[in-house]
Amino acid sequence: MYKMFTAFICGSASYCPYKFKITRNLVTLLLIAAGTQTVSSKELIIYNPHTSSFLPDSSKAVVFSAAILKKEIRGTVRDAVDVMAGVSVIIKGTTKGVTTNLSGKYILDVPDENAVLVFSMVGYKSQEIAVKGKDVINVTLVESNNTMDDVVIVGFGTQKRTDLVGSVTTISTKDLKVPSSNLTTALAGRAAGIIAYQRSGEPGQDNADFFVRGVTTFGYKTSPLILIDGMELTTTDLARLQPDDISSFSIMKDATSTAVYGARGANGVILVTTKQGVVGKSKLSFRLENSASAPTTDVELADAITYMKLSNESILTRNPLGTVLYPEEKIENTILGKNPIVYPSNNWKEMLFKDYTMNQRANLSVSGGGGVAQYYVSGSYNKDNGILKVDQRNNFNNNIDLKSYTLRSNVTIDVTKSTQMIVRLNGNFDDYTGPIDGGAEMYRKVMRSNPVLFPAFYPKDDQHQFVRHIMYGNYGAGNYINPYADMTKGYKDYSRSLMLAQLELKQDLSGLVKGLSFRTMMNTNRSSFFDVSRFYNPYLYTLSGYDQLSNTYKVNNINETSATEYLGYQEGPKTVESTFYLESMLNYNRQFKKHGLSGLLVYMMRQNLVANAGDLQLSLPFRNLGVSGRATYSYDNRYFAEFTFGYNGSERFAESQRFGFFPSGGVAWTISNEAFFKDLKPIVSNLRLRATYGLIGNDAIGSPTDRFFYLSNVNMNDGSKAASFGNGIGTAPYTVNGVTVSRYSNPDITWETATKRNLALEIGLFNRLTVQAEYYDEVRKNILMTRSAIPVTMGLSAPVRANVGEATGRGTDISMDYQQSLSNKIWFSARGNFTYASSKFKVFEEPQYKETYRSRIGYSLNQTFGYIAERLFIDDQEAANSPKQNFGPYGGGDIKYLDVNRDGQITEADQVAIGNPSVPEITYGFGFSLGIKSFDFSAFFQGLANESFWIDPVATSPFAGETQLLKAYSESYWSEDRRDVHALWPRLSSTVNANNTQTSTWFMRDGSFLRLKQIEFGYTLPKKLQNRIRASNFRVYANATNLLNFSKFKLWDVEMGGNGLGYPVQRVFNLGLNLSFN
Amino acid sequence: MKKYITSLTLALVAIIILASCKKYLDVVPDNVATIDNAFTMRTQAEKYLFTCFSYLPRDGSLNDDPAFSGGDEMWQIEGRKAYFDMAKGLQNKVSPLGDRWPVLYRGIRDCNIFLENIGKVPDLSETERLRWISEVKFLKAYYHFYLLRMYGPIPLVRENLPIDADINQVKVLRNPADECFAYVVQLINEATPGLPLTIADPGRDMGRITQPIALSLKAQVLITAASPLFNGNTDQAGIKNPDGTALFNTVYSKTKWDSAAVACKKAISICHSVGIKLFKFVPDAATPNLSQALRIQMSIRNSVAQKWNSEIIWANTQSNASGLQSLISTWWDPALLDGTTAHGELSPPLKIAEMFYTQNGVPISEDKSWNYEERYGIKTSRPEDKYYLRADYTTANLHFNREPRFYADLGFDGGIFYGQGRYDDANPSNLFYLEAKFKQRNGFGKPDFSTVTGYYIKKLVHYQNVIGSGNSYTVNAYPWPMIRLADLYLMYAEALNESEGPVADVYTYLDLVRERAGLNSVQSSWTNFSTNPDKFRSKDGLRTIIQQERLIELAFESKRFWDLRRWKTAEDELNIPIRGWDLGQQQSAAYYRPTVIFNQTFGIKDYFWPINESYIVTNRNLVQNLGW
Repeated sequence: MYKMFTAFICGSASYCPYKFKITRNLVTLLLIAAGTQTVSSKELIIYNPHTSSFLPDSSKAVVFSAAILKKEIRGTVRDAVDVMAGVSVIIKGTTKGVTTNLSGKYILDVPDENAVLVFSMVGYKSQEIAVKGKDVINVTLVESNNTMDDVVIVGFGTQKRTDLVGSVTTISTKDLKVPSSNLTTALAGRAAGIIAYQRSGEPGQDNADFFVRGVTTFGYKTSPLILIDGMELTTTDLARLQPDDISSFSIMKDATSTAVYGARGANGVILVTTKQGVVGKSKLSFRLENSASAPTTDVELADAITYMKLSNESILTRNPLGTVLYPEEKIENTILGKNPIVYPSNNWKEMLFKDYTMNQRANLSVSGGGGVAQYYVSGSYNKDNGILKVDQRNNFNNNIDLKSYTLRSNVTIDVTKSTQMIVRLNGNFDDYTGPIDGGAEMYRKVMRSNPVLFPAFYPKDDQHQFVRHIMYGNYGAGNYINPYADMTKGYKDYSRSLMLAQLELKQDLSGLVKGLSFRTMMNTNRSSFFDVSRFYNPYLYTLSGYDQLSNTYKVNNINETSATEYLGYQEGPKTVESTFYLESMLNYNRQFKKHGLSGLLVYMMRQNLVANAGDLQLSLPFRNLGVSGRATYSYDNRYFAEFTFGYNGSERFAESQRFGFFPSGGVAWTISNEAFFKDLKPIVSNLRLRATYGLIGNDAIGSPTDRFFYLSNVNMNDGSKAASFGNGIGTAPYTVNGVTVSRYSNPDITWETATKRNLALEIGLFNRLTVQAEYYDEVRKNILMTRSAIPVTMGLSAPVRANVGEATGRGTDISMDYQQSLSNKIWFSARGNFTYASSKFKVFEEPQYKETYRSRIGYSLNQTFGYIAERLFIDDQEAANSPKQNFGPYGGGDIKYLDVNRDGQITEADQVAIGNPSVPEITYGFGFSLGIKSFDFSAFFQGLANESFWIDPVATSPFAGETQLLKAYSESYWSEDRRDVHALWPRLSSTVNANNTQTSTWFMRDGSFLRLKQIEFGYTLPKKLQNRIRASNFRVYANATNLLNFSKFKLWDVEMGGNGLGYPVQRVFNLGLNLSFN
Repeated sequence: MKKYITSLTLALVAIIILASCKKYLDVVPDNVATIDNAFTMRTQAEKYLFTCFSYLPRDGSLNDDPAFSGGDEMWQIEGRKAYFDMAKGLQNKVSPLGDRWPVLYRGIRDCNIFLENIGKVPDLSETERLRWISEVKFLKAYYHFYLLRMYGPIPLVRENLPIDADINQVKVLRNPADECFAYVVQLINEATPGLPLTIADPGRDMGRITQPIALSLKAQVLITAASPLFNGNTDQAGIKNPDGTALFNTVYSKTKWDSAAVACKKAISICHSVGIKLFKFVPDAATPNLSQALRIQMSIRNSVAQKWNSEIIWANTQSNASGLQSLISTWWDPALLDGTTAHGELSPPLKIAEMFYTQNGVPISEDKSWNYEERYGIKTSRPEDKYYLRADYTTANLHFNREPRFYADLGFDGGIFYGQGRYDDANPSNLFYLEAKFKQRNGFGKPDFSTVTGYYIKKLVHYQNVIGSGNSYTVNAYPWPMIRLADLYLMYAEALNESEGPVADVYTYLDLVRERAGLNSVQSSWTNFSTNPDKFRSKDGLRTIIQQERLIELAFESKRFWDLRRWKTAEDELNIPIRGWDLGQQQSAAYYRPTVIFNQTFGIKDYFWPINESYIVTNRNLVQNLGW
């Protein structure tokens, strides 16, 4: 074709002084002088293909029709490892294209030399390559990460990444594949703008807490809106989503991107779509994983001897005349190990918990389809086991065994050429068996169990040879916790299900107006939960009549009347919920030369009904109704503008306040597409600025049980307000329940609104490094809060609330990506992200404090207020001569607080803001991936900063209510012999010492950490070998999570924060296999 | 086809949008309960009436009555909560123990709502309406009085302020004490005529308010107003509102006592007119030949623990002594020691045991025939002690030759514990008794339970309660006596002595109470046995006698706490150390050594509760109490 041209212009195909640059089919060409590479002439040659003649007035111009310029291009597409099948190769600006075959090859006719081919595949960075005289184009695709995807799912549609005005982050599905059955655990550090952390490792209870750009409201709902295929679902539903099924995962952060969700988007939106079938042979994918998990850190307890010694000290140090619990003789004999039944020394932890546990996950999906219908069907099975031991004498399993099943079927039917119907059916089911109290409670019970009072159980003796039950140990009246008995006495089943059905109808209305389409979607979901416990009341025995000389003892039952050998039964709470949702939308999308125009109008309604609300007003349906819209305009891929709005109604408000209008707008400028930028483009491949501004509403204000602010709520049958009279049978047999006002009406209460601003800068360098930095701020107004100026003498039984609070938030999200292929066989990518999100009270109604430092204004919404602990009192005398502390008895060795206002007393007025907020302000993550031939390796680090948490001084108060002694406390506490005023734990006490358990800086700890979140090592079978087993993909991998943790805090896994005595966060070693067949 | 579908879908959109306009969000059906529903019918209004009653503080309840265990009448094992911390001097203004301020103001608001709206109820007879209004006015008076007694002068809420009231309007001031008392009395006066004289339907209404109750409460209110704490108390002179109004009247006024005496007399006569009389035990079929000694004890115990006995003027049906009886009962039956229902965890200290008279009806320190100095010595019981002490049991001298109320009120090592199904005292060695030395069944050392002083409360345990096997414990519950006739008699004696000096009526009413307790008259007891035989002849001497009589007669009935405060004698009594026996001992000689358990302290600030600091932060017009 080029040769044809040369021949035509210069008369010779072999020699021509000019070079040509060809663009589209109706092409104008520049004549470029060879050698100089500069434009020497702009004269145009115009050729009329119909008459095959030059236009008379411009004899040197040429025009060719597309037909003439047809050309065949061929090539092979591969990634760093191997050839790639199924890569789409499309001529840019058209829909024309092919996909590569099994050996990665493609053949494509292009219209002319100026054509540009776009190579794309999910999970890979798209590449555009100009044909420019080439006949063979071989491409190596590089795996993509979030910021590079071409198309981004946005509210009610998709936009090209390069056209985005709003702030949307995506997480690549690859990053979501972590060795856990809980998707939310994968979120931390993966995307800029998300603050996430995980407080528990218990299967079924291990959802991470996550916030989009932090918390900026003091209402009850602080978590983002979660939409899966357009359906609003809960965090647990997101947690159970299979990463294999996810096609896209977007997080919308600013006003423009969330405005279409009007009422519900103020805390950000997480939008997930699942995979759809594509035309082609059916493809089968299979993933199998087996992992071993073990706690990252164990809380270390003091040994039994130390426990007894310090317990005695705890009594005597407070009351020298007190009676100690453990006589010297008991301690001596326990040390000697004389008779472990009589002198028990229990390591409850060892008795209850295993060192590690094994979990399995499997996922299978089939997709494919023909011209009429395409399908994506998947099923998955996850089995998570707890770390609890099981007593073989029982034939039931009291360990946690959480089985989670998912079935998903997405079917697309092409009803007519312009009508498409999509049916999505999805069921998600959890079947759980586990200890009656749950795993975390078992950990807490161990913490509250006396290690030396009695053994877990007594061996059967002659006296009790006929009993069939386990003879559990206890003491006194049997009111002590025997965690072993509590764990093995029975088991609990729970069952959670979620059924979703969705019908989506798409109608292309190009016939009416070009670029117009219509879509309607209806979905409903039903969720349910119930639990059933089966257990016996354990027989408790206590030791009596131990005879030292003969070393014999007797055991007596304590609870003959209440204990059972047979199982009892108890039904737990049940929840049943249904949701109905409908949305209809008109969509317009058209390109007029350089002008891109799109419009969207959505109508939506949603209803949620709860079966066991517990109250008439709560039982009424929750409803939202709204119209939203979006209009975008772009010019020449350089200038972009977007306007969105949500007009929403919520049933919670009085009729006049019911609807809120939330507009927003934004602009973007792709500087790198400007003509003047051309020279820089090889270096700065992308430079873009974005700015948005807008309003978002929130109707999830106050508390979830506080609905219909315009109505008073009265409990007309309140048992707590009952009175009884009469002298008949019973003491006062005539009882009438009373009336309680639980809410005073206020018709003025309305939406909380957020005014959000977002500024973003995108930079791409050398096509390898991309940086995206965003700055945002936000003002929340009309936050519902309790009027604090109303004195108690008013006698109100419910708080009076009003939309008076204001808060601000601001922060930065930065993400960076780097990728490079060093050769066809070696590739490298690295990325990192950083999120800083802070908040402040701006208007907070509070009493007029005399002490200005008590005001919350200007402090973070998650700021803790407490006392400043100076140190421990040296002795009683110092305590007596210091400002009076008002919490309970105290003396030497107890915490000395700072009298901030110097009034001689420690009261609430001495509480100041202490530490960092309780929700971290900084989250970051970074990692790299490396591929060499068939091997790949990746590592990912994640960290938090600017967070404080508090060791729970009540839960860790040794000896109070038989609480165990932390080893760390036993090694550092104030004692009369060793008056360490900076010891970890104050003077021992056998009860909870209220003076020492106030919220103060004493137990405040820095929550920041950096952890090696995940490393993975994978091996993909080379194509040749794959073909031999007829697989299209075969990869085995090993990964591990939470391998290393860098933190100043050592008592337990710092990520658990104040919840450290619960079920520990787990370290997981995982082996997996990925297998696909085409 | 294509066009057909297009137009169909468009039509569908139109229908959906039209069909579901704003009505979609009207989810609240009519007739959702609001406050107006409470006064549409009699049955609903009755609920509101009961709501007003529901705020009645549960006197005698361990967790609801600071006066029961927050003073010095009983001690508890360490670690118990409720008001034990108050007894230990841990009252504070950050989170005041037993803070009634919020709940009673809520109660007052509900009373006002009731009074504002009760006129609307159509199907209510006028007599019933009047009765209800009167009852609620009584409650409103009582709630104000309760706060007044705790916090001293308080802001009065004569009428409710609207919810959207101006912020300056809601920042109320404390009213001076005299004004508070006057308002409480005014409310009782308004309430009295509309109340019934007696309860017509005891099965349904027993416990509701009657005229005798209202007049007795009025007597109590006026006697409180006349007592030194409120009458001419100069300690509190500095307590003034921000506008300078003094909250306490520092000038003593005898007329306060006069009107208190009049009110007491009036209350007594109305009680007599409806048949309320001092309770005397009449043996029933199970106990036909009960000895005189135990009959007197039964009269004493059952005047409190027998429900609706003849001297009850007002019993609080919101507070039933059933759980309480478990907490104070101990293991008196040696055959049944496994149960955990009986706790025995409320223990009177030694000073309470010493407070009771000798058998001659005079204080142990005054009785010529009783060896006060040797009271901690030990001796073995004699045959004549058989209804009081286990035969041949060695116990403290303190336990010998005491008045019947000592034996009726207290359980102790070697003491007889009559009841538990064994009602025949023909053979006293069959009767249950306590063994309270170390490792004995009622002794110290049982995990979580048992006495901390060596004493148990017997008075509040009904004699027919039975501890069964396992954890069974059959309790005869009774509504807590708020005011009984003996209380009223003693109030009258006190007021009259203050108002007119030792006139005949003072002795008459004092002796009525003493007679029921098996004691001789004041005159004869003091004349014959006291080392200070003329004590009763002077007003001041008689005052001490009346006060001690009152503390003994009303022991463990939540009265001592308030009485010591209003007499301003708490600074003396509550600074005496809490003592018990040496519980860790197994031998009598070692066991009967008084041991200090706790050094209780009481300062001038303790006469009133602190006002929660945060309430003052919200309302700077509230002035804090003295010393807090």
